[in-house]
Amino acid sequence: MDQQILNAVFIGSIYALFAVGYTLVFGVLDILNLAHSAVFMFGAAITYSLVINHGQAFWVACIVGIAASAVLGLVIEHVCLRPLRRRRAPPIAALISTVGLALIIVAVIEQGQKGSLFGWLWVDGANSVAFPAGTIPNPTWHIGDLTLEASKVAVIPISVALMLALGYVIRYTQVGRALRAVAENPRAARLMGLDVDRMISLTVVISSALGGVAGILFGVALGDISPYIGRDNVEVRGLAVIVLGGMGSIPGAVVGGYLLGLIEVLAVVALGSGARGGVAFAALFLMLVLRPQGLFGAQLREKI
Amino acid sequence: MKRLHLVSWLAAALVVAACGSTGGGGSNTNSYSGKTIKLGAILSITGAGGVYGPQSRDGANLAVKQINASGGVNGAQIALTINDDASDKAQSAQVAQKLIQQEQDLALLGPTLSNSAVAVHPLAESLKTPILAVSTTGIHIVPDCNFPATTPCKYVFRDSLGEETAIPTNIKSYAEDKQPKTGVLLVAQDDKFSSDGGTIVQNTVAQYNVNLLKTIKFNKAEADLSPYVTQAVQAKPDVIFITSLGGIPAKIMTEARKQGWQGQFLGGNGFNTATVSAQAAGAGKGARSASAWYLGNTFASNKDFVDAYKAEYSKDPDQFSAQGYTAIKILADAAKRANLTFSDLAGDRDKLRTAMESVNIQTPLGPFQFTSTHDVKQTVWVIAMDGAGGFTLVHEIKQS
Amino acid sequence: MDFFIQLFSDPVGFWNSHTLLIAQIGINSILAASMFIVLYSGQLSLAAPGFMAIGAYTSVLMDQYWHTPLALNIATGVFLAGVLGLLVGLPVLRLRGVFLAIATIGFIEALRLGVILNVPITGEGLGLKNLSADPLGGIYLVLVSLVGVLFVVWRLTKGRLGAAWAAIRQDELAALSQGIDVARYKMIAFVLSAILAGFAGALEAHLNFFVDPGDAQYGVARAVQILTFAVLGGSGYVLGPVVGALIITLLPWIFQAQGIYINIVTGVFLIAVIIFRPQGIVGRGGLAIIRPSWWPRRAGPSAASPG
Repeated sequence: MDQQILNAVFIGSIYALFAVGYTLVFGVLDILNLAHSAVFMFGAAITYSLVINHGQAFWVACIVGIAASAVLGLVIEHVCLRPLRRRRAPPIAALISTVGLALIIVAVIEQGQKGSLFGWLWVDGANSVAFPAGTIPNPTWHIGDLTLEASKVAVIPISVALMLALGYVIRYTQVGRALRAVAENPRAARLMGLDVDRMISLTVVISSALGGVAGILFGVALGDISPYIGRDNVEVRGLAVIVLGGMGSIPGAVVGGYLLGLIEVLAVVALGSGARGGVAFAALFLMLVLRPQGLFGAQLREKI
Repeated sequence: MKRLHLVSWLAAALVVAACGSTGGGGSNTNSYSGKTIKLGAILSITGAGGVYGPQSRDGANLAVKQINASGGVNGAQIALTINDDASDKAQSAQVAQKLIQQEQDLALLGPTLSNSAVAVHPLAESLKTPILAVSTTGIHIVPDCNFPATTPCKYVFRDSLGEETAIPTNIKSYAEDKQPKTGVLLVAQDDKFSSDGGTIVQNTVAQYNVNLLKTIKFNKAEADLSPYVTQAVQAKPDVIFITSLGGIPAKIMTEARKQGWQGQFLGGNGFNTATVSAQAAGAGKGARSASAWYLGNTFASNKDFVDAYKAEYSKDPDQFSAQGYTAIKILADAAKRANLTFSDLAGDRDKLRTAMESVNIQTPLGPFQFTSTHDVKQTVWVIAMDGAGGFTLVHEIKQS
Repeated sequence: MDFFIQLFSDPVGFWNSHTLLIAQIGINSILAASMFIVLYSGQLSLAAPGFMAIGAYTSVLMDQYWHTPLALNIATGVFLAGVLGLLVGLPVLRLRGVFLAIATIGFIEALRLGVILNVPITGEGLGLKNLSADPLGGIYLVLVSLVGVLFVVWRLTKGRLGAAWAAIRQDELAALSQGIDVARYKMIAFVLSAILAGFAGALEAHLNFFVDPGDAQYGVARAVQILTFAVLGGSGYVLGPVVGALIITLLPWIFQAQGIYINIVTGVFLIAVIIFRPQGIVGRGGLAIIRPSWWPRRAGPSAASPG
């Protein structure tokens, strides 16, 4: 049972980090960026590829992987979001454009084979791969009944540090204030002289970089990298997390992530493995029905 | 006059020699020259099945190329189309219908995934078109493609060694070697392949006095299998059975070793690719499975195949390419003996089907025949992962 | 492009050898109509796959265990879908915009992962085989149903229900203050959409030899696909989502020649269409649903979108 709780904490950290990026974009833009899970996957895939196929040191590969994710964020903004804003499209249109981009990103990795067009990015096609055992120092400790793996344990301080850093930036820096202004009322923000487009770009870039980090942590700690890790693990769970925590709220995403991890594990223990997926969504549904603003969200303005 | 006589003798001798080298049928009483044998393959090139589809395609294409280059089938060229079903059942069925009714293919190959076969095989059966499965190994593929009805399907065949044969062979072989007492089964309940494998394990273990302590079910898309592995390890079994494919076997094996478990892994077809062996690395060393094919198998037809494949694609073939290659050989051999008219599609398809039943040829899988239920009759190799991305041979079990 | 060549040069042959595809277009169109109703009444509900599952499993199970006639099986499936629509609708209708969308996602995944995958009678992860499937003949039922459905939905939008829905979509508070029983009309739309989705699900099961609880059948992937029908086609007219369904279902066939790049081309296509025509292909009124309060609003009611 305690091992299960530990597992919940590790995976909860990853859910939380992923959801923070999700909720950031939602808070500032009122848009669900459905390409976020593809960025998660991309960060992991690029890092793996750099280490295994291009012989880079792990830390170098991580930095490049995170940078690549950030760049992907810029792509999302310029290809999927900005053109729609220019044309006064309803926010729902962004759902479709980000879905389209996610499709492209997954396909590029899925079809990456040695010698093919995308072989420089990824050569394992649809396969699921993992970092070989020696890639990073990964001692395992056994304390009583528990097995503690360094890579999994490290996930916690890294994600917490990143989330705290983001919280600090949002709350105490000028950039953070500008972001909050845009989130509150973009028209007013523009009238007050803020470059709204730039702020939005920054938001998406930060969000994507965090998503990429979450993906790399996932790939390392859970030993699974494939074109589908975003879709299978975090795409829909990310939604559950931000709903539980309150959409647009960063502390909410953090708490929500750990909460979801715990709920899933408890469900497995109490109800058997079959219950794992269903319980998360039942929880989500109940939260929306009973308290739609989530744990930390503000009261919804348009509630009747 | 005499010279003409001599020339025609020589020609006949050449023809007989050519027939002999394809290892198959009797004299060519038919000449199909100028005709085309249309075949359609439904394979998963994109989507999750894209791990297997391209290999089947490459093997099949190689066989077609070789056959066409050496005179075709009784003079007819084979035209094989490769059709992607994006690992999607519904699309698989739609593509099958198009190939059968619009393209008017003589026979089909595929689909790649057992999940899709559930949709496509009954359709091919109802449209009376022979279909040869090249990678599906679950239960109820043959002979009862229309399960739960039990009328045998006449048009459905497979050349991919089923789990119903592979798993018991593997368990039997290990039980004879080491006499394990207890086991735990880990199965992905939402995956037909894994679930079928799990059922077979459950039905087999009692015969070899292995007590199945637990069956642990999970969903295939779950990232974190550690809670399930923990449950398995805590039961302290001698053997852990893993019937999944994709990235799951390696994950389970790595996690179990991390948690300190030292026992034996036994698996199904999911273990049989180099990718899985490489991914499992040290943790998977010694993990056993039964395979329809082994890179180093010593049949002459296999050596020729491996050399030709390497020359064509600059990489080693795998089980799926071998089965794809074999499928074309089977269809070509049956077509040769079937007295095809090329003017009566329904009649030709029926004749082909009948001819397939009596196939008996040399293939990269060794000597190959169909059983009376259109299933595979061939040598089985019990292999073990070598911890470095390859396999070692444990036992070679010839067909009875 | 040889897909189109065959279509135009030999329509009868094309029809005969593509009944499964055409029937799937028909089913997707009924799903699109289901989506249209909820969007037209201002609700971003993604619950259709859940109701499809109810319709499909009910009709197949009845056939398997009781061997009842097809019409009864489908009718029961539809009825149960409607009942579930009522039960699910009650708690979620208070939710607006994206919150409703997420709640409905919660519903369909809880149904699929929690219930269907764990209840033995559904065959759990492996689904059910449907032996009375009729892939070749079922197309007529589907097409006749489609015509009927579209006609009914079109009439509804022209009548009082339609006017109420349009008013609710524009501005719920204003509609409420005009005396429109918003909750009742929203519920009607929700249940109607559930009924149509259940119907589509039962038909789809009739056409295929399987029913299975995969993500692509009854999960979020399907919900997003149905949403794409509506957004791509435009949801001002009922024909909009139907056109969207037609195009999306045909995409793998149209882009067949792209081989392994097909998904990339599809993604580019989706992005291009939504950028250059955000109101959808059959535009007209577009999606005025989840506009946050600061989003620029147009002057009159349902003015035609530019472009």
